[in-house]
Amino acid sequence: MELHKEKQLLETLQGVFQLKSGEIKRRHRIEVEVEKKDVVPLLLFVKEKLGYKHLSHISCVDWIEEGRFELIYMPWSHQEQILIMVKVSIPRDAAEMENIDMIWRQANTYQRELREMFGIEFPGFVGDYDFILEDWEDIPPMRRDFDTEAYVKDHYFERPGREDAKDVRTEIAKRSGEQIPDFAKKYSR
Amino acid sequence: MREKTTTLYLGPQHPGITGNMMVKLSLKGDTIVKAKTEVGYLHRAFEKLLEKRNWLQCFTVMCRFCVPEPDPMENIYARAVEEIEGREVPERAKYIRTMVLELARLQSFLLWYAGQNGSAGLYTVPQWSVGDRNYILDLFEELTGGRIYHMYTWPGGVRRDLPEGFESRVLKVMDYIEKRQEDYDRMMFDNSIFQKRAQGVGIINKEKAIEWGVVGAPLRACGVKSDIRIDEPYEIYDKLDFIVPTQEGADVWARALVRRAEFKQSISIIRQIIDKMPKGEIYNKVPNPQKWTLPKGNAYVRAEAVRGEIGMFLQSDGGNKPRRVHVRGAAYVHAVSLLEDVLVGQNVSDVSFIMNSLGTCPPEIER
Repeated sequence: MELHKEKQLLETLQGVFQLKSGEIKRRHRIEVEVEKKDVVPLLLFVKEKLGYKHLSHISCVDWIEEGRFELIYMPWSHQEQILIMVKVSIPRDAAEMENIDMIWRQANTYQRELREMFGIEFPGFVGDYDFILEDWEDIPPMRRDFDTEAYVKDHYFERPGREDAKDVRTEIAKRSGEQIPDFAKKYSR
Repeated sequence: MREKTTTLYLGPQHPGITGNMMVKLSLKGDTIVKAKTEVGYLHRAFEKLLEKRNWLQCFTVMCRFCVPEPDPMENIYARAVEEIEGREVPERAKYIRTMVLELARLQSFLLWYAGQNGSAGLYTVPQWSVGDRNYILDLFEELTGGRIYHMYTWPGGVRRDLPEGFESRVLKVMDYIEKRQEDYDRMMFDNSIFQKRAQGVGIINKEKAIEWGVVGAPLRACGVKSDIRIDEPYEIYDKLDFIVPTQEGADVWARALVRRAEFKQSISIIRQIIDKMPKGEIYNKVPNPQKWTLPKGNAYVRAEAVRGEIGMFLQSDGGNKPRRVHVRGAAYVHAVSLLEDVLVGQNVSDVSFIMNSLGTCPPEIER
């Protein structure tokens, strides 16, 4: 499959911005990585000059071992039919990113979620603090160091009779008087 | 005299609200002056849960993201895993997957008929369409064992082959629901009550529609010819002959007309698939799920559901579990920033009517 349009777009972006990396992933997809300072200029450039009007998604990956968050902005062009994955890394201990809800209005919703779930701040961004969670005081729950099991044990109680977390099948077998077949026993806890 | 503003909390438990969410409305008389979407009643932390499951276990959770149309979620997950791993899918499996996606679209259209008419107070169509939807759910039950959640499309192909004579039963159901469209037309599209309720209501700003992230039928009802199945073909959509219907009105009526035309297209697509269905393998077997690792990398794949574009960002760190799964549903934009904008100036009685036409699905927002 020819990838003319994708190659041309990548060359254009390489000519205008200092990309840390850039690759054609497949037809309809290119991926570029930029410095934090270049994100907003690049997004404005692709939207206003190249017609990438639709913001499909903003996602975030927590690379806790490397002490960074990776944000991925994904604008799409209905004309060119290419989706650009714009990657940027920000430090975990100073998780701040520029606000882009003046470029795409719906980014407001995405940023509210990122702030709530990862604790990334967007200075100058006006958006309600509570989005999905309510009165959350723990560390942002989508961070890798948030321990779901410990949180559950701290905040909820076990249903009576289930404290020992016994295998459900053993209990059912005891009540009904049935035997667990040998082949199934090895899967029991 | 100072006009009084009333605050009305619509939802989270309300028959007109599609799922558990709330819209906080500020009213002057019957007219909405401000709307604010409040979510958080349905958060199940699926995305966090998926980080603790291996690649195959994740597949069983995928369909639960959205009740009205779970199959596209399974499909995008399977395709994202295949893209990262570079796994090939047998041709027959692609045909079956596409057929499942289109059957899912049809049952979702019928559910939309029910919601759209029910929220207008027209209760005959919901009775019919939910009944007709059962014929499609019967097919799903026969094929997958499940009526709503199928857990059928998995990485590498599909879980089992079509049962004996399944194609002919699908065609029979297609003939039936195609004929039923005449009844729906009489009860819904020729109905002056529905027309008056739908025309000129819930208008989206056409110039801003793309920038505001509008997708699917609401975008096509603004005159934009956009459909992921054509723009970025997946499975076997590039081998099928179908059109993308558009309208110019940008209101509830235009969105209804677009969906009506798409309903017919889906029936035609299913007939084409059955006509062209090749023989062969249905599954490119994955390794032992406990030891199955994917190379480090990411993928963002999209599919066209009835509500619009849905996408999945999947990141692998080279291990046997995903590092990050992030779902983008159509409702994520439609039910928050777009709904808050569209509702201003509308009558309070039209809120659930407009929500249905935008394809609001709270489970997609909260995940």
